Amino acid sequence: MLRTVKPRNARSKRAMEARQPKEVEDPRTCVFVKGTHTGEVVNNAMKELMALKRPDAITFNKKNDIHPFDASSNSQASLEFWSQKNDASLFLVGQSTKKRPNGLTFVRMFDSRVLDMIEVGVDKFVSMAEFKTPKSTPGNKPLLHFASDLFETHPRFSQLKSMLISFFNGETIESICLPGIEHVISISLSPTPQTLNTAIASADLPTTTPEDLSSLPKVHIRSYTIKLKASGTRIPKVDLIPMGPFLDLSLRRHTPPDPELLKQALRRPKLKKQDVEKGLGKKRKNFEVDEMGDLRGRVHVAKQDLSKLQTRKMKGLKSQFDEDDEQEAGGDDDVEMPMEKKQRTS
Amino acid sequence: MDVTNILSSIQNGVNQDELDDGNYILDPGYLTVTNTEPIDVDLYKCILSQTKTSTNISNKTLETLPKSSYGALFSLPTTSSPDGPLAILPPPALLLPREKPLPKPKEPTKWEKFAAAKGIQKTKREKKVWDEEKQEWVARWGWKGKNKEAESQWLHEVPANADADHDPRKVARDERKARVAKNERQRLQNLAHAAGPSGDRKKEIDRTLATTRVSTASMGKFDRQLDGEKKPRGIKRKFDPAEASAEQEKKNALTLLSQMDSDSRKMRSGPLTKEEGVLNVRKAIRSASKGQGGVALGRKLDSSKRKSRR
Repeated sequence: MLRTVKPRNARSKRAMEARQPKEVEDPRTCVFVKGTHTGEVVNNAMKELMALKRPDAITFNKKNDIHPFDASSNSQASLEFWSQKNDASLFLVGQSTKKRPNGLTFVRMFDSRVLDMIEVGVDKFVSMAEFKTPKSTPGNKPLLHFASDLFETHPRFSQLKSMLISFFNGETIESICLPGIEHVISISLSPTPQTLNTAIASADLPTTTPEDLSSLPKVHIRSYTIKLKASGTRIPKVDLIPMGPFLDLSLRRHTPPDPELLKQALRRPKLKKQDVEKGLGKKRKNFEVDEMGDLRGRVHVAKQDLSKLQTRKMKGLKSQFDEDDEQEAGGDDDVEMPMEKKQRTS
Repeated sequence: MDVTNILSSIQNGVNQDELDDGNYILDPGYLTVTNTEPIDVDLYKCILSQTKTSTNISNKTLETLPKSSYGALFSLPTTSSPDGPLAILPPPALLLPREKPLPKPKEPTKWEKFAAAKGIQKTKREKKVWDEEKQEWVARWGWKGKNKEAESQWLHEVPANADADHDPRKVARDERKARVAKNERQRLQNLAHAAGPSGDRKKEIDRTLATTRVSTASMGKFDRQLDGEKKPRGIKRKFDPAEASAEQEKKNALTLLSQMDSDSRKMRSGPLTKEEGVLNVRKAIRSASKGQGGVALGRKLDSSKRKSRR
């Protein structure tokens, strides 16, 4: 636990305020941690993932004895401490052991507590350097492409999808310059095995037996740069040029998020008045924003009763002079008239 | 299955219209597209075999599919900017867990609570006020502020009954400083209130307990001790110095004597008179009336007399 410090000057006060919770959050800062042993593959994979994550990335130069899935070790406490110290809420821990070679662990934090973890093994890795192609600018937002139905149906893969979006793109932005988008990261799976198809149909239970892990499809992460060509229409033609890194991953251990913590983490701020006017959130009837950006409302008015319309007052138009009424109710009119007048004046 | 056709079509570039829209889940807020179409086994194997032969692992399906997401982005509403069209992104559909909890709303101050209860609207206070004499706008506070006018004017009205050392400037300045101090005190109170009760609850309880233990008639000397009750810590007995000057000793003795002699400390104001005798009337009445007092006793006696007459 970090000690709480009272800021002594304006600069440190600003820095501390920048760490306070925000309604619209900044992209998650990721800390890249090396475990006790990392091979060449893990080192390079982490280096290149960091290149994609920059500038929201911090590397630890030294090795750390950290085993996130080992509950008996104080790794979770270390992660929580680092998270507070660095104001980071994502970790990528690289560790290579004989039992689990070339392992990468994604750890996501909420409020400096571990939310969920995913361990993947790097089966194949192709570095950026192997493609003699232009690379994207650091800090540029990528497009993300997920290809498989499992990302929507299987809990393990939907967790992976959520984690990867948090890693690469977890920032809400209002607008983006389309020609400025430079690269696409594509995450696809190998074909869904028959066993998984039936398993999902029968029972939606994620079991983590070793046999089950091998049956899970592999994950292919590919990154490309985009080259736009004029097509004559609004939508330009897109050419994809392999940029690297290319990773083939297989899923290993994981920890699903704690439901209580996840519930807290999924809380959204109340929509602002401006957003509601834009038409977000609760639908408002008869309001619309036109092409000029003006808010337009439609008012429904009941049909006006024109018979009661007050026209020019003339003695001759008074009801007591009505010819047809005179025979039916002659005396009554004298009594009613003053009452009507009273009502109008009030 | 013949895959060559599929591959060739992919290599030619899939047209946006050909892609089945039902299979795409687009989330422009996170610039993400998910293709829910199951991966074709034959195609996948074909690509794998291709990549084995070629040094390049890039496979064509993976290359062509992301193009669709790009097309979808271009159909979003845009605003123009100097750098090119800016696509306005809708809020993301996928719920990603937050990094930190939602910021807590600011605790309203005591005044804000009162104003809300009374329905008082906040009005913006202009920083400058019009000075009639100078015929210009001056600062309400701060350097050459209007609130320092009473201190800086060259002529002061002095009340008739004022002291000789009455300084109108100082009075005005003190008043202003008091207002500032009051405001600061209220600000700190609001801050403390917003921070909630202090975490030293245990300390508070210990302090209260220590106070109650010496708050009995015997100052805790003859209280029943509970099991496991500890001696109050941090209490030191104080003694007068053993050697005191003769002057001091005399003074102490005299104060003690005067206290003993003073009326306030006396139980009785003199030797017992004959009437009083040894009977303590007050105590006797209390005992006879069973603690209800003399008036109640008198009433009781009256009623018993009436009963006996009947």
